[in-house]
Amino acid sequence: MGSKLKKSRLFLALASFAALASTLVGCSSDSSEGQSLVIYSGRSEEFIAPFLAEFTEKTGIQLDVRYGDSAALAAQILEEGENSPADLFLSQDAGSLGAVSAAGLLRSLDQDLIKKVENKYQSTNQDWVGITGRVRVFVYSPDRVSVLPKSIDDLLAAEWKGRLAIAPTNSSFQAFISSLIQSRGDAAAEQWLNGLMKNEPKLYEKNSQIVEAVDAGEIDLGLVNHYYLWEVAQELGRDLNAAIEFFQPGDLGNLINVSGAGILNTAKNFAGAQELIAYLLEEGTQAKFVSDTHEYSIVNPSLTPEGLPALAAIKSPAIDLSTLADLKRTQDLLIRVGLL
Amino acid sequence: MSKKAHGEATKASHVPLGLFTAALFSLIFIAIPLVYLLRRALEGNWRSLSALLFREKTAQIFTTTSSLVIIVSLMASILGVSLAWSLHNVKIPMRNLQQALVILPIAIPSYVFTFSWISINPSISGFWAAVFILVLSTTPYVSLAALSGLRRVDWSQHEVAMTLGLNPFRTFIEITLPQIRNSVAAGTLLVALYVLSDFGAVALLGVDTFTRSISNLYRGSFDRSSAAVLALILVLLSATLIAIESRARGKARQSRNSARLLKQPILINSRGTKLAAQILIALYLALSLITPMGLLLLRFFNSAGTIDYPSLFSASISTIVAAFLGALISISLALPIGLLVLTGSRLGNLADKGVLLVHALPGIVMGLALVAFGSEFPWLYQTLGLLAFSYALLFMAKSVGSVRSALARVPQNLIDISATLGKSRAQTFRAVILPLAAPGVLTGSLLVLLAAMKELPATLMLRPTGFETLATEMWALTAISRFSEAAPYALFLVLIAAIPTFLINRPDRGSNEEGDIA
Repeated sequence: MGSKLKKSRLFLALASFAALASTLVGCSSDSSEGQSLVIYSGRSEEFIAPFLAEFTEKTGIQLDVRYGDSAALAAQILEEGENSPADLFLSQDAGSLGAVSAAGLLRSLDQDLIKKVENKYQSTNQDWVGITGRVRVFVYSPDRVSVLPKSIDDLLAAEWKGRLAIAPTNSSFQAFISSLIQSRGDAAAEQWLNGLMKNEPKLYEKNSQIVEAVDAGEIDLGLVNHYYLWEVAQELGRDLNAAIEFFQPGDLGNLINVSGAGILNTAKNFAGAQELIAYLLEEGTQAKFVSDTHEYSIVNPSLTPEGLPALAAIKSPAIDLSTLADLKRTQDLLIRVGLL
Repeated sequence: MSKKAHGEATKASHVPLGLFTAALFSLIFIAIPLVYLLRRALEGNWRSLSALLFREKTAQIFTTTSSLVIIVSLMASILGVSLAWSLHNVKIPMRNLQQALVILPIAIPSYVFTFSWISINPSISGFWAAVFILVLSTTPYVSLAALSGLRRVDWSQHEVAMTLGLNPFRTFIEITLPQIRNSVAAGTLLVALYVLSDFGAVALLGVDTFTRSISNLYRGSFDRSSAAVLALILVLLSATLIAIESRARGKARQSRNSARLLKQPILINSRGTKLAAQILIALYLALSLITPMGLLLLRFFNSAGTIDYPSLFSASISTIVAAFLGALISISLALPIGLLVLTGSRLGNLADKGVLLVHALPGIVMGLALVAFGSEFPWLYQTLGLLAFSYALLFMAKSVGSVRSALARVPQNLIDISATLGKSRAQTFRAVILPLAAPGVLTGSLLVLLAAMKELPATLMLRPTGFETLATEMWALTAISRFSEAAPYALFLVLIAAIPTFLINRPDRGSNEEGDIA
């Protein structure tokens, strides 16, 4: 027992020494030739990696990508502050970008980059731009819903009692409520929410759960983002007993949120980062976004994902996307009506 | 027969410097997240913070969280003790295998658990669903502790009581339970602290606990000062629980006698009891092990053709390496603390409790605290070392209990003899204390290892870029609804975690490893 204990302890000591040493060695940045960029990406690796790989191929810039949840990454960047190792922040929604921008951590982008994107799809400080469009829709069961709602106000009617679903903890739902507050004011927004609550909507954590619930017959209509139908169908490998539709043009329910990018003040490679953003806004790349990830193009609104109406036809409400950063008002409202 | 503190012989007039320093370090490390929270909380303006603290919603969250903790702890402790007793005292077939299986659910992360049950019944949600799932997944902590306690009971008292005509149930309550009370209390404390910190289950089931609200605040309004305030309330709740457990531990009879007249109970052979025991165990295993594992295996075989094996294997290695390092750091901090507690040192006691204090902090809080701290040191930030360190901080509490009780069980007379023979304290430690305490120390480190393998939020924030564990890969896939593709990662995670889980059971077997002297 004694020598066995000695041997295992020796092994343990050596192993731990080696491991600890390797951690310190591992972290030293290898200054290899050629540029590199550190990216924090709230966009899923599955979807964005091919684009990034192509960028590296074309330009030779090496990319160190850190994947995570957009909001959690934004919180991380806020904590890191001026010590952040990141050059670029790729976010899945405008709120996270707005939060980082509001903290003064993003650097202003060059004019020629800013000009590529419409004003409503970028920051008012010119420190982040939208890249793809993600639209709010409603998913419904064609079997059980014969008359489609035209406006979000239609959902307050008594006929929808017990048949609706929302995901109140989801950032895209909260973005929608923010836009509701922005355009109608606190009081009217609270009134709408109270009216919705009277219809006892079922609450889910994730948008995909709502789509699955419609497909399974648990609910008849839910508020989600446009690409979830496609995402869930892909996963289940079959067509769903569900369809998506937009509210009437100009309705608040058609909010467009954007995925976007911003460059941090701490960026060591500003030029390289701008090059990446420019690449993501290129015609060819935007077309690929539309076909591969099923999103809308910010740069070319005429490009439309398969089976969906054009952006122009949807006429989403004009909302200042950077206000989506401060979801505190929205969350307070949702807490007041009992949804959070 | 002095009643002075255990370890009297090892205590000179002062505490050994090495131990002192190690414990001091532990306290400094624990202070990192606490200081972070205080700083962020103080940054907020008082009006909005007091509005946060005293609003109705916070009271609701407090009630929900407390109820969840109390109910789950109560049910898990009753179920855990019942299972342990059935496994230890009743003559059921293949006892060792069943003991190992009953502990195995620890290897399953709560989010995987919840996903499995949701896929069976998509509409399951709410408070009682969370109770159901949390009880199933945390009972092993109590079972493990209770089994360990039962193995150290002196069964002669039990047999005498039975001979005198006391019925089995009363015998258990009056004779056996007081002897295992400490262990059960320690196990239940772990359950309670875990429920406080759990995010996976409560998020998917929509239960409003502090952890969920904290996460929503960080990710929704980026309001870090409000989130910090809520996290500090969590710390206060933990402190309350720790104090309760400490008092429960203090009052129970300490059986530190190395000599036991009867080390094994006479197994109950009555058909009725055997059937009842077996049904209880089978039911528990069916709900907490067979169901989730079965579903994982099913999904795995469905997607067998499309699995990315290189990614799976590299993630497995990364998971094992990071968790192993975390366990190593954890033990090197827990051992000195345990030894200090033995010498009755106040610093030791402080460190012992302090470690538990941060145990209930959700991963996202610990992650952000270490981001704030670690980003100041570029050579440290986002390295494997910092990640392992975060695991140690998060889960050290799981090892402290086992280490402390393992060290406390080393018979005083052996230590005295060693001192009489002229051995130094360090020699006594190496030759006498460590070998005898090794099984408990190993159990403690395996518990940390397990928890580290399953960890998600802190890992996402602190891992070196490109370093993926099974949990992070699983998360990346479930985030885009690719549940079938995530299944292989979940399956491998559980299989790998099953290995230390099996090992946890083995060292405790056999009474000769506990230093019993006839």
